Amino acid sequence: MTFQFESLQQMWDMAGHGPYVWTAILVSLFVMGWLLVRPLQQHSAILKTISQQLRQREQCQKEHQSANTSEEDK
Amino acid sequence: MASARNWNWFHRMGSPRWFYETTGRWLPWLWVLTISLVLTGLVWGLAFAPQDAKQGNSFRIIYLHVPASFLALAGYYLMAIAGAIGLIWKMKLSYMVMKSAAPIGAALTFIALFTGAVWGKPTWGTYWVWDARITSMLILLFLYLGVLALQYAFHSQEAGNKASAILALVGTVNIPIIYKSVDWWYTLHQSATIKLTSAPSMHPDMFQPLLVVIVAMYSFYGLALILYTRVEILQRERKAGWVRELARQAETQEPAK
Repeated sequence: MTFQFESLQQMWDMAGHGPYVWTAILVSLFVMGWLLVRPLQQHSAILKTISQQLRQREQCQKEHQSANTSEEDK
Repeated sequence: MASARNWNWFHRMGSPRWFYETTGRWLPWLWVLTISLVLTGLVWGLAFAPQDAKQGNSFRIIYLHVPASFLALAGYYLMAIAGAIGLIWKMKLSYMVMKSAAPIGAALTFIALFTGAVWGKPTWGTYWVWDARITSMLILLFLYLGVLALQYAFHSQEAGNKASAILALVGTVNIPIIYKSVDWWYTLHQSATIKLTSAPSMHPDMFQPLLVVIVAMYSFYGLALILYTRVEILQRERKAGWVRELARQAETQEPAK
């Protein structure tokens, strides 16, 4: 197995086919990367939303309870 | 009783929680496997494989074009089968897998079409021809997008699931047409390089890196499908106790900014 080009510059040029090959590779890798990053972002966003909703609900319940107890005091 | 016990594995596999927890343990390994295989295969193919006698260096696009096309087709079968399992056994997890397969399949079909177009310019002298292979591949992209769109077209999740599954199943007609299009109709597209029934029409020095990228693409597909399905599970099971517990744990691990 040998390196097919004499330099990295030549590999970039690919004897004139460089623009085609590298456009294809870079666009594909970008799309593939995006396919992995997007669910990771959504994953943490959903967990955050759920925990926020839980906290809000707990706070509501507490306020409700304290309102009830203060009414009972009267 | 015995038959009930035999089906336990099936029910456990249908449990979103079981899927979420099991795949969570696989994920680190799958990340390492995918990234190392993709890097190995691409560096090998782009820098070390000999150039093609007729096409020169432009043929190196094959190292993403063929693996992406493979998975775009295989992923469609997976999506349709997941839809069918959902319709027949009313398995929730199966519908989640079906929905997750749609954006991944659409993206891979796009990659196949895009790399094909960029490869076509130096080889055929044109980016696009309306021949059978390319047109049926474009239809595949629309089928994927259709399955995804139907998920959001109904108020009830149940109706969306059924509609998506039926479209996915009807669309499978397209897959053998794509496979056979280069044999049935006159086309600029070359015929299949790799067939299960015969030796590859390619020199081993070119073929070996291609094989690595194909395996890499399967690994990538598995990783992406698991990641999307896990998001879908959290979204649809957000009222379940274990998901709430998970959200609380995530909050304590990551202090509020």
